[in-house]
Formats: sequence, structure tokens, C-alpha cells
Amino acid sequence: MLKILTGFAACCRAFDLRVSTSEVLDTARHLALVDPLDPREFKLAVRANFAKSRRDQSRFDYLFDLFFHGIRTDSDDALSPGIDRITQGLRKTLSDDPMEQALVDFLDNDPLAFIDQIHALHTMEERPQKIFKSNMGQLSSKLGVMLQINSIKSKIMALLDQGDHGEPDNAGALREHFRERLDRAFALATEEPREHNDALKEKPRATNEKNQLKDKPFSNLTPLEVIEMRAVIERLVKKLKDQVGRRFAVKNRGVIDIKKTLRNSGKFQGVPLNIAFKNKPPRKSSIVALCDVSGSVWSGARFMLTLLYSLQECFARVKSFVFVADLVDITGLFQDLDINDAIEKALGDDTINRNAPTDYGNSFQQFKHDHMNVLNQKTTLIILGDGRSNYLNPQATILGEMREHCRRIIWLTPEQINTWTTGDSEIASYKTHCHEVRTCMNLNHLTEFIEELVL
Amino acid sequence: MDFQSVDDVQKRLEQADYIASKEIATVVYIALATEKPILIEGPAGVGKTELAKAVATCLERRVIRLQCYEGLDESKALYEWEYAKQLLYTQMVKERINTVIDDAASLSEAVDKIASQEDAFFSDRFIQPRPLLQAILSPDPVVLLIDEVDKSDPEFEAFLLELLSDFQVTIPEIGTRKPVTIPVVFLTSNNYRDMSDALKRRCIHLYIDYPSPEREMEIVRLKLPMIEEGLLQQMIQAITRIRELEIKKKPCISESIDWARALLALNTKQLTCETVEETLNVVLKYHQDTKVAKQTLAGIVG
Ligand SMILES: Nc1ncnc2c1ncn2[C@@H]1O[C@H](COP(=O)(O)OP(=O)(O)OP(=O)(O)O)[C@@H](O)[C@H]1O
Ligand SMILES: [Mg+2]
Repeated sequence: MLKILTGFAACCRAFDLRVSTSEVLDTARHLALVDPLDPREFKLAVRANFAKSRRDQSRFDYLFDLFFHGIRTDSDDALSPGIDRITQGLRKTLSDDPMEQALVDFLDNDPLAFIDQIHALHTMEERPQKIFKSNMGQLSSKLGVMLQINSIKSKIMALLDQGDHGEPDNAGALREHFRERLDRAFALATEEPREHNDALKEKPRATNEKNQLKDKPFSNLTPLEVIEMRAVIERLVKKLKDQVGRRFAVKNRGVIDIKKTLRNSGKFQGVPLNIAFKNKPPRKSSIVALCDVSGSVWSGARFMLTLLYSLQECFARVKSFVFVADLVDITGLFQDLDINDAIEKALGDDTINRNAPTDYGNSFQQFKHDHMNVLNQKTTLIILGDGRSNYLNPQATILGEMREHCRRIIWLTPEQINTWTTGDSEIASYKTHCHEVRTCMNLNHLTEFIEELVL
Repeated sequence: MDFQSVDDVQKRLEQADYIASKEIATVVYIALATEKPILIEGPAGVGKTELAKAVATCLERRVIRLQCYEGLDESKALYEWEYAKQLLYTQMVKERINTVIDDAASLSEAVDKIASQEDAFFSDRFIQPRPLLQAILSPDPVVLLIDEVDKSDPEFEAFLLELLSDFQVTIPEIGTRKPVTIPVVFLTSNNYRDMSDALKRRCIHLYIDYPSPEREMEIVRLKLPMIEEGLLQQMIQAITRIRELEIKKKPCISESIDWARALLALNTKQLTCETVEETLNVVLKYHQDTKVAKQTLAGIVG
């Protein structure tokens, strides 16, 4: 039993489901308690130890089915001499390509190497491509695997036709056995498990047709209106600052916390120099903003950045990045320049090429390699963009890694929910990793969002 | 008495007015048998807190509850020094202090002598145990419910780790407090943020989803035995359909119970579009959601 469990644990780890040794041991203890003949209790006991969050459960279910029903068939004994003969025959014809070897091991009931390779394939990062961009890296490797599966299939069929199989009806069973295994391998190479994310908050926002400035989509504003907007935003900032100021002012008022005060006074020979109050100010969060500034969305980015930086003192820290095809850290600009100048500069063509095709995957990858350390357990990561990545590899698993490094991920999109799954929008794959996805296409939406953020 | 089997858990929870699915019963059984804390996740109102209470009822244990929130710290959760008492004692033993340092030759010697008595002031006598410490020091075993642990700060999780793995707590000034009794520990989370791996490793995990229609009917029947079977069935079907709508807050089990109660009070025999429309505000809390539901009344009634 322990051997099966450790095998399964290895398979889970290969798919990034972290299972520690202590958890495997716990599972073994728990399995001794349940009815060994009840498959449901068996699965429940393993799952309670292997998948420690709702997010991991779907991945667990997928792997569990694979492992206990798919890849380890307890083929009946009459077939095993035949299987051995074929796999040995195959091994003689092998090249030293690791994938090919792993595939034969897979047919020989040793699936781990294959699972490892497949997982690497699903999560592989595109190599930086400078001139011709495409999604081909991942796709072509997958295609390669499919071709290898096919060639092994024809080799098996040839081998089957040669030898004698003991009893005449074994040939059909063997053929069936290998076909099933190869179908499994094929399915593994082409599908991917996706996490549950029921805690995701989706906030579609209604749009009013009244053509007021506040309701007008950012992308439709005329240059004149953009200037008008500045005044509106200034008023808004002032209002918010007032509210926030009042909130943080409670710090030095209200009921005295006797215990804290006494504790503090210990340092000063019992003189209560440092008075503590019961109402603590709420903790300020730190913000990291990633803004898509390509043609279709940049106007939203400008207003969000204006607001974030005007309200800087409401946050512990604000860091910001803009991206189109590449990611640029613009935090520095805001330290040196006035907010509006900084934004003009950030969006100016010399910082970033706004006409390049948007590439979310590449931008995330750059973030991961160069800036992952700006995220910590107190950071709220805000991503502003339509998730339209020109059919390039979305590399959503990187967003998943980012999620593990920060407190929350909120995705703002300038589109209504019903267009999220159309065309090249990758929101559907990104949203499994977000805590919240909301529509933010005009000032009303933005105000609502910022209010929730600071208040 | 401890639980004897998965079925025993299910049966006894029902006696405590809690309808448990097979999954819930299995996880509770294996966790309790091996003294593992249970981390419960699930949408609001599916009976996470209630499960902890029901288990306590079955085991005839007291519940000690720690409600988590942002800013919760060790002095509220673990222990606090009783400063007032310490000060009072200091006053009272002032003279004794003089005798302690009487024969001290120098000031530093006097300080040393007082320091050697320091233990007297940082001892159990002046410690006020908070829920976590109370739970392991209680002479009768308890159920410890750490509610909405996802609302606490990441730092706070660190305090929990020692407690969850060894049921002990280390107080810097005194040392390690070993458990007097081992509590049954439940942690609940609404998934506001992800918990750390270290915490997850120490717990066994249980996800409680919205109940299946059969289980939900059993729950309502348990609370309102006089409800008619036909109406109950219609109502649970309607609730299930409402949960599938695109709404802000999906109705949970207590809303089903409230709705059933309202329908009974109105003497409803059968669910129609009109009765649903009249009572919809019992089920849905947001005006926006009610509006969405009203557009598909016929679909909800079925
Ligand atoms: N399985 C059940 N059997 C009987 N009653 C139940 C069951 N599940 C839920 N209830 C009822 O639903 C109500 C809400 O449950 P509870 O407060 O435990 O939810 P919760 O999951 O803790 O919610 P929250 O996340 O909001 O804290 C309880 O008061 C109880 O009456
Ligand atoms: Mg609760």
C-alpha cells in the first residue's frame, strides 16, 4: 500500500501538487481507519491529505483518475508475457530521445517519467522570440509527442503481427490493451487540468447609456474630455483622501488600551509615555499594478495610474509596470516626476513600443524572472488589461505562481463579461488564478474599485 | 465517547441536528481518530461553523471559539500578561524587595538580585490564557474552533503552527506549555486568501459544497418537520436553480430554512411564480440579485 501511495505522491509532485512525506505517512494512517473495500472512502481519505485546498481538488481528481484507473492497469496475467515481449521488442528500436523512452516505460507500467515530461510540456515557458512571435514552441512540442505516439503505435502493430501469442485470441486483447494505453498517453499530452476557483469574485458592471463623462468608456474620450477628466479625478481624489484621513485619524483617539499602555510604559520606568489606543488603524496594503498599455486599453491605464499615485499615501507602497510585448518598470518615473508628467512619459513611445502585438505570456514571464520579489503576502496585485494576447501562448501557469507570492490578484478588464471568452481573449484561462475579475471601462467603475481598495 | 466508525459519525451528528454527507463524516472520523486539525473550506453558510458545534455536542465537549480578523494578535489569541495584577503585587511586596537587596554591596549586585527573582513576576500566576491556550490547558477536553482563519494576517498563522502540530504553546518568558488535554481543532476559511503551505500540511482538508438536493431536503425537514413533502421538493429545486444564476450572493442553507419557514407562515401549498416573487427577498439579500431572479421567475419555479 505504501508503495502505491508513494508512487501516486510522486505523480502528484510531477504535476505540481505539493505532497510532503509527512502527508503520505498521515494518509497511510488514515487509510488504516477506513473501509478498505469502499473506493469512495479510499479516495476521500487520500484527497483530504493530498489536496489541501479547493483549488487543488480538481487537479487531484484528474490525477487520481489517471493513476488509479488509467495509467496503472492491472492487466490480467495471461497478457503479461505478450506485453513484455512487445515492450522489449520496442526497446530495441528506440532512439535515445527521452520522450520516446518515457513512452515505452509508460506502456510498461512505469508512468512517472512520461508524466514528468508531459507536465514540463504543459508549463513550459516560451523562449523569448524577438522577430516572429508565435505560440509554436509549446504547440510544436505537443505535436512532436503525438507523432511519436503514432510511430510507436505502428511499431507495436508490426510486432504484434510477427510473433505468436500463445493462444490465438490473445492477439486481439493485446492489441486492445496497447491501443487503450496509447490513447491515454495521447489524452495526457493534449489535455490539461484546470483549477477550481469558486471563490473567484466576478464583478460585471452595468453601463449606463447616459452620455455623462463618468459613464463614457475610457476608449471613447476625446482629448478635450481627457483634460476635463483630470478635474473630475482631482475632486475624487480629494474626497477619498478626506475619508481615508478620517479613518486613519481614529488612531489617536477613543478608548485607551490600558494593557498596551502599561506594556509600553515598561520601557520608561513605568511612565506611560507611549499611549496606546484601542482602535487600531487598518493596515495599509501595498500595491503592484501591471497595466496593458496597448492601443485598445491604454486609456484606462492612464486613469488608474493617476488615481493610484494620487492616493499613494493610502497605501504602504505602490509599484507599477506597463507592458505591451515587453514589460517595463515605471515606478521610478513617479518618484522623479509630477504624476501627470510621469504618466505622459510612461505612455510616451520612447519607453515602450505601443504598436507591437500584445504578449501577455512574455510579459508575465519577464515579471517572473525580474520582479517576482516585489510580491509578498501583503501585496495586492492589480492587472489591467483585456487579456487579448494575439493567440500567443498565454502562459497562465506563471500567473498561478504569482498568486502564490501575493495576497490577492485582481484583474480589471475594459470589456463586459460576455465578451471575455470570445476571440483571442485569454481571460478564461487567467481567471482561474485570480481572486477577483471585474469590469472597469469607465470612471464610474474605476471609482467604485478604488473606493473598495482604499476604504 | 469517541466515534467508532464513519457511520457512527454520520448517525451521531444527525442526533445533534447536523446532516453530514459521507465525505464530511469520513474526514471527521479519520481526523479525530488521529488527532489532526481539520481545515474546512466552502462558500458562506454551508454549515462550516455548525459542524464544529455539532461535533462538540456529540462528544459532550465545550466549544472554545476564536473568531479571526485582521489585526488579531497573540495577546488576544494566545495569552496576555496581567499587568495590573503584576503592578499590584509589586506594590505589596515592596518591603520584601528591600530585604532581598539589603545586603547587596553595589547597585549592580542589587539589580542582579532582583533579576534572579524575576521568575516570580513572569509566572503562570500572571498569565491570562486566551482561547488557544485555554483550549490546551482545559482539564476537560474541548473543541477548538478557529473561525475564518483566512481573515487573520499571515503573521498570525505562524502562532498557530506550533499549536496545530504538537498542541503546545511556547511563551518566551516561561517556556513551553504542554497540553493538559488534546482539543479537537477545526479551522474554517471562506477563501478570502490562500493559506500557507506550512499550515495546510498540519491539517487535513475538507471542502463543504452546497448540499445535494437530497441532503438539503433532509436538513430542512429536520428543522421544520411539519413541511409538506411536495412543497419541500419544489422549493429545493427552485433554490438549486437560483444558485445557478449569475448573482452576487448565492442563497445558502440558512436561507433555504428561512424560505421554508416563510412559505409555511404564508400557508403556501404550492410554489407559483407569485409566491416566489413575494418571498424572494427572504432568499436573496441584494436588490440587484432579486432583479436578476425576477426576470426568470418561470424558469425558477420550473
Ligand atoms: N448539514 C447541516 N445540518 C443542519 N443544519 C445545517 C447544516 N448545514 C448548515 N446548517 C444550517 O445553516 C446555518 C448556517 O451554517 P453556518 O453558520 O455553520 O455556516 P458557515 O459555513 O459557518 O457560514 P460562514 O462562512 O458565513 O461563517 C446553521 O445555522 C444551520 O442551521
Ligand atoms: Mg461560520
